[in-house]
Amino acid sequence: MRDPQPLPLLAATALLLLGCSGSEDPVKADPAPEAQADQEFTPIAAPSKPMTDLELVEDRTEEVADRLLSFSAVLVKQDFEAAKAWLADDFLGMGFAGLLVSSETTQLQGVVSRDFDVSQAPIVDKTGLIASWEETFGKWGQVSSVIWKVKGAEFQQGGRPSGRIRLYLHATGILPDGTMQSFAAWGWARVKRVGDWVIDRLEFTSYNFKTLSKAPYVEVTNAAGVGHTFARFGSDQNRSFHFNGAAAGDVDGDGDWDLFVPSDERNFLYIAQPDGTYTEEAVQRAVDQPDDGTGAVFFDFDNDGDQDLFVAQVGWALEDDRGGHHCVLYTNDGAGNFTQASELAGLGSPFVAYSPTVLDFDGDGWLDIFLSCYGMVEREHNNSWFQATNGYPNALLRNLGEGKGFEDVATKLGMAGSKWSYASAAADIDLDGDPDLYVANDYGDNEFWINAGDGTFEQQSDARGVTDRGNGMGVSFGDLNQDGRLDLYVSNMSSTAGNRILDRLEDSIDPETFQVLRKLAAGNSIFFQEEDGTLKRLPKTAGGVGASWAWSANLADLNLDGRLDIFCTNGFVTGNLAFDT
Amino acid sequence: MVASTVCATPNEGEFKLQSVGNEGFLDRHNSQIFAEGRSFSGNERDKLFLNRGDGTFADISDLSGCDSPGDGRGVICADLDDDGDLDLFVHEIQRERHHLYRNNLGGKFIKVRLIATSGQHEAIGATVIVHGPEGPVAQPLTRGAGFVSCQAPELVFGLGTADSGTVQVVWPGGMKENFGTIQANSRVLLTEGSGQATNFAARPRPLPDPLPKGLLLRMGDTLPALGMLDAQGELAILDPIALADGGELWINLWGKSCVPCIKEMPLLLEHDKSADLRVVLLCTDPPQHRAQAAPIAAKRAAGLADFYLGAEPRDVAAPPENYIDLLRLPIPTTLRISAEGKLLGVIRGTVPPH
Repeated sequence: MRDPQPLPLLAATALLLLGCSGSEDPVKADPAPEAQADQEFTPIAAPSKPMTDLELVEDRTEEVADRLLSFSAVLVKQDFEAAKAWLADDFLGMGFAGLLVSSETTQLQGVVSRDFDVSQAPIVDKTGLIASWEETFGKWGQVSSVIWKVKGAEFQQGGRPSGRIRLYLHATGILPDGTMQSFAAWGWARVKRVGDWVIDRLEFTSYNFKTLSKAPYVEVTNAAGVGHTFARFGSDQNRSFHFNGAAAGDVDGDGDWDLFVPSDERNFLYIAQPDGTYTEEAVQRAVDQPDDGTGAVFFDFDNDGDQDLFVAQVGWALEDDRGGHHCVLYTNDGAGNFTQASELAGLGSPFVAYSPTVLDFDGDGWLDIFLSCYGMVEREHNNSWFQATNGYPNALLRNLGEGKGFEDVATKLGMAGSKWSYASAAADIDLDGDPDLYVANDYGDNEFWINAGDGTFEQQSDARGVTDRGNGMGVSFGDLNQDGRLDLYVSNMSSTAGNRILDRLEDSIDPETFQVLRKLAAGNSIFFQEEDGTLKRLPKTAGGVGASWAWSANLADLNLDGRLDIFCTNGFVTGNLAFDT
Repeated sequence: MVASTVCATPNEGEFKLQSVGNEGFLDRHNSQIFAEGRSFSGNERDKLFLNRGDGTFADISDLSGCDSPGDGRGVICADLDDDGDLDLFVHEIQRERHHLYRNNLGGKFIKVRLIATSGQHEAIGATVIVHGPEGPVAQPLTRGAGFVSCQAPELVFGLGTADSGTVQVVWPGGMKENFGTIQANSRVLLTEGSGQATNFAARPRPLPDPLPKGLLLRMGDTLPALGMLDAQGELAILDPIALADGGELWINLWGKSCVPCIKEMPLLLEHDKSADLRVVLLCTDPPQHRAQAAPIAAKRAAGLADFYLGAEPRDVAAPPENYIDLLRLPIPTTLRISAEGKLLGVIRGTVPPH
């Protein structure tokens, strides 16, 4: 299929867009006088004459979204006096206190969920709204987050800039006794720009409170001795897109899981101690350098009974002498002391490697490595949003055995390709005794390599229904529906801004293209394996996939109830300023 | 993906990839906006979806205790303390790079490790199927899945309320082998061809209780004398041992905009009246806010020693930021310090009643 990239769409690829300003100044474009503010609360109506220039509407939407993020920051600090600056002097709206419960259910894991009857919400002024916020949320000993998310927006043409926004408000906090609470509301706000944007009307359409007496997890990072503070992302010290991962294995053979963490400037090796803490021993055990590795895997490279360590590197810059590293193999002496063995065969070439996956693809008893290789982002952009073909070739490092090294057989087997591969996972999907391999590709179609049993693979992503075009970021296998068959979870990305813009464009672009774009902004995918070996996508309404800009997902039984759950890391870059949508 | 640079130029009706000079688009977009401290798809918290068992999933992320907003990448899910449930280690790209989450749920489990005899001994690629209370659940033994993540070579199966489960392995090579019924809370080593599970010993190593984010001390670490200012802006040393005076010292971290902090000050005063407990206030506001903060402490907690940031020079005592990341530490937080100056514990949020 040809890339559907004709122009007007492009604004739509705004799920990818940022920082693209229109040529027209949106402030100067609206010279008409300010409209008279209402004095009584009435349902918030759409603008009578809405702005139609998509770019200007989105610019204005981002202004409002940014402004609401700083509102969130003030509310997280529980600075209720300062919070009044985000409300118009003539504010009227539904308050947060005094509503009646309309339904209450106890859900999985003891989560108590209460919906409130918004039709009975008291209408309050500016002071009343803040007071109701304080009454409801001021009891939290710690506010974990407050998010005002702009899900849609329309703005009035002419007059002082004003508009109606579709809102999602979400807040989480912890009561002094440790009880976890979250609040979520959908609604509308009328906003106007008086210097800064302020809210002058607020109306909820739903209002839900969830409570859980004890969180499933508690963070023990610093107490366990694995805390590491570094420069924020984007600063000179920390600006590499060579995202670093983590690997678990028993380095010293004591039966505990140690943790290797590739990182900027140096790597970390946390050795588990009997008292529940860790000691960091990367230097002593000689795995602290080179830095900037991406994925790492523990496995027994030379079949001597201990855990060796392979660290992937983005090394394309080696080719033109601009730095970078080769992938590194560290061999273990059995006691957890490592030696770099990078002079071995097959490790002298640079790769743009992110996620290594260990598998014995040819069944010879020696473990091989598939390397997902991305594009050289610092040098060349992807040449398509949907079917990029200028990625670095993937590698399949066949283990030569006896500790000799590797041979890259990806090209020979037709698996090298030129996609932007971020991740892979191997599992015996058809239970025929050999590992199959799924490759998640950014800017394109994913691949599902079914092992023929003779050391070759056949690409069957279409045949098995798992091509999952989009921005593949990660992949995991596990049985998510308790039928004894392995299912598939693919991490993708979605975007509030992207979906918001697509909503506006639905009527103006062809349906096929619209569906492609919608898929790009749709989030993760769950595929259940059928009896015939094909896989079927679970509808989005089943949940488990709404993770925004998603990365690594793990399928595991986190609450030990006999069913595998999903944990997924999420988010691209969170700055230290409140500018984001 | 990394952030894109597609821009629409609607007036000209064309679409182009932006590239500026020889630096390429990354310097024009990603690096530039991130250097400025802007977000792009930021403030997105990690997700925890629980399996309801009917083909649907419940999002309990915001109540999970593991929904960090710090742009996670790699994740390890393993029973790090050997109590049967699965803990999490997450590598993020922001200031606090490493995160370890202890699972508090517990429950019944079967824990499986594998030894293959016909091929590579680690049995990577094997599939283990446990028939438990919700039906047969399959898990593959992997090394390298998700995104830049490698799991430990051990599989954990929950049993809900069941007392046992039956275990089957499909080994690399294709042999299917049954290992029969395994009792709950067993740790078993399954060796290919043996047909019998062998128990291996538990190695419990309870993960410690949490310290708050931003506290750069471990339990038992010594907090040295800190260089601070007093309410008048004069150099004042916060010397834990001297202030504890043979008893326990509470260092209450607060800020002038923190309502719960200010509310609890009278209670702190009450605690300070105990024979073996001294309480001091450490204001986390920037130095320029001392003039606004100090009167609040004087009014709400008259009599408590109060300390402020901004001491220079620091050669007479340690800078507080070496021990407390004041930008990251949630307030109110109260550090419990022993008479010897060691960290005894942390009270997160407001202190309990006297």
